[in-house]
Amino acid sequence: MSERLDTPPMPEGEYFDSRRFTGLSTLLGAVAVVSLVLCLVGAFVDPHQFSYSWLFAFVFFFTLCAGCFFWTIVHHATDADWSVVVRRQLENIAVLLGVLAVFFIPILLLRRHLYSWMDIPPGHEATLDSKRAYLNLHWFLIRAIIFFVFWIIASQLLRRFSARQDKDGNPLFTIWMRRVSFISLPLFALCLTFGAFDWMMSLNYRWYSTMFGVYIFAGAAGSSMSLLVIVITALRQAGYLKGIVTLEHYHIMGKWMLAFCVFWAYIGFGQYMLIWYANIPEETQFFLARNTQSWWALSMLLVIGRFFVPFGILLLQSIKKNPHQLSILAGWMILMQMLDMYLIVLPALHGTGVHVSIWDLLCLVAIGTTLAFVYLRLVPRTSLFPVRDPRLIESLTTVN
Amino acid sequence: MITTPYGHTVYAMAAEYPSAAALYEAAKHVRDAGFRRWDVYSPFPIHGMDDAMGIGKSWLSGWVLFGGISGFLTAALIEFGPSSILYPLTVHGKPRGFFTVPAFFPIMFELTVLFAAFSAFFAWQIMNRLPRWNHPMFNWDRFSRVTNDGFFLAIEARDPRFTENGVYELLEQTGGQHITIVHED
Repeated sequence: MSERLDTPPMPEGEYFDSRRFTGLSTLLGAVAVVSLVLCLVGAFVDPHQFSYSWLFAFVFFFTLCAGCFFWTIVHHATDADWSVVVRRQLENIAVLLGVLAVFFIPILLLRRHLYSWMDIPPGHEATLDSKRAYLNLHWFLIRAIIFFVFWIIASQLLRRFSARQDKDGNPLFTIWMRRVSFISLPLFALCLTFGAFDWMMSLNYRWYSTMFGVYIFAGAAGSSMSLLVIVITALRQAGYLKGIVTLEHYHIMGKWMLAFCVFWAYIGFGQYMLIWYANIPEETQFFLARNTQSWWALSMLLVIGRFFVPFGILLLQSIKKNPHQLSILAGWMILMQMLDMYLIVLPALHGTGVHVSIWDLLCLVAIGTTLAFVYLRLVPRTSLFPVRDPRLIESLTTVN
Repeated sequence: MITTPYGHTVYAMAAEYPSAAALYEAAKHVRDAGFRRWDVYSPFPIHGMDDAMGIGKSWLSGWVLFGGISGFLTAALIEFGPSSILYPLTVHGKPRGFFTVPAFFPIMFELTVLFAAFSAFFAWQIMNRLPRWNHPMFNWDRFSRVTNDGFFLAIEARDPRFTENGVYELLEQTGGQHITIVHED
């Protein structure tokens, strides 16, 4: 710990002027309504393809929002100082988990298209019967409710406490947010792991991987840090957060992108190598579907585009301190997260090769624009950064 | 080489500062006066001191990259050399050519990390001229407080701009206290 050598004056809160962006907001809302109506049509015209497309779009945005929730609770639990200035945007994105709970309803309605284990009566499949204690509809529903109740309550609490602290600067809120975060850390790990098992791994009930939950987590944390970089850069482009978020903060965010780029590769490769080496048909079927036919090209693109290329680029300090270039890379990382989720969900439907459908795109647009619309409504309600956080000065003067 | 009237070789002229902030400001002045051979000493790291001293970016990262790449290439050589070229052997029904690479990755990764860590450690030692038994600064009694609450700045006699009066004035102007000559041995 060093003495603070030059202490800048405490800035006033900055407020997002939503009137400047009425056009964008209206456009997003209109596109969201139109695409959601088209999705409703899709659900009746081609329910089988549509259910997989919807699940793909759902898990993609779910991992982004859950990752932002993760960064918020880690910030409080570790008493971090650098992330104070960017925390409000993490909180805003994390509460979108509540919107995603609504978007989970179509998955429940279309469950029989997605999860074949729900249709198989007991006594037909020995491998399934041994998993019935976990894989049964009631328990699946109860788990989904538990997951979403936890995420909604925890993310709302963290955002409300943080917003109330803006008004009176009471340091007690910091203690309360820390308590919420300590409870949330293990619950988040459990909910994300079993959520990944329920919604993605059980697409093929014969396959299992104990590393699957942490694999989803690694992708979620890395891509949500990329999303944060883009959101912060967009706000700076609009003229906000100047002098609040500095290149030092970009440097740290870039380092986290690098760390989770490596962690994703570590977990992804660990999962692949154990299955490849043991060579048990029950396990290899997952990768056989994804490494053969036209899926092979997309798998290779994921390996190179998600790890080798960004790893080499992110090693450079100059990239991490250049908001424009870092944002381009962050956009690429989010595209790769999308590809990752596509490769997890869609091969379960099209085992014989890539089959791009219009519903894939439409579901992405529908969920994405809705979330962006809600986000734009949330941002103006509070200051763009926590104005009276006790550690704000330390965050403003962060040097690393 | 500068010597004292008693025949001791002069290592540096040093001063003590009352706080980290005073040391930080003094470092800026010494940097701007154009000195190259000098150092500051404090009980804890002071953020921003690199810039205040005008040190610039360390070359350590270059050595780490070099170590990492050589570790990776070493692993690739000792794995593909025997297993794919010199003595190809089918193990567990796995392919023998390039596509054995998933089994080789862990070793490539480990050797990359190991060599990078070693080169970081040893390059850091060499760049800091470590290990060494003693340092001339320990010849000054007050300097023992550097591990407790003392903040020191020393300008070495081998700096081309070093003159006894000039350095004394500079240290005094920047608020240095207990200004003294430190012997080499």
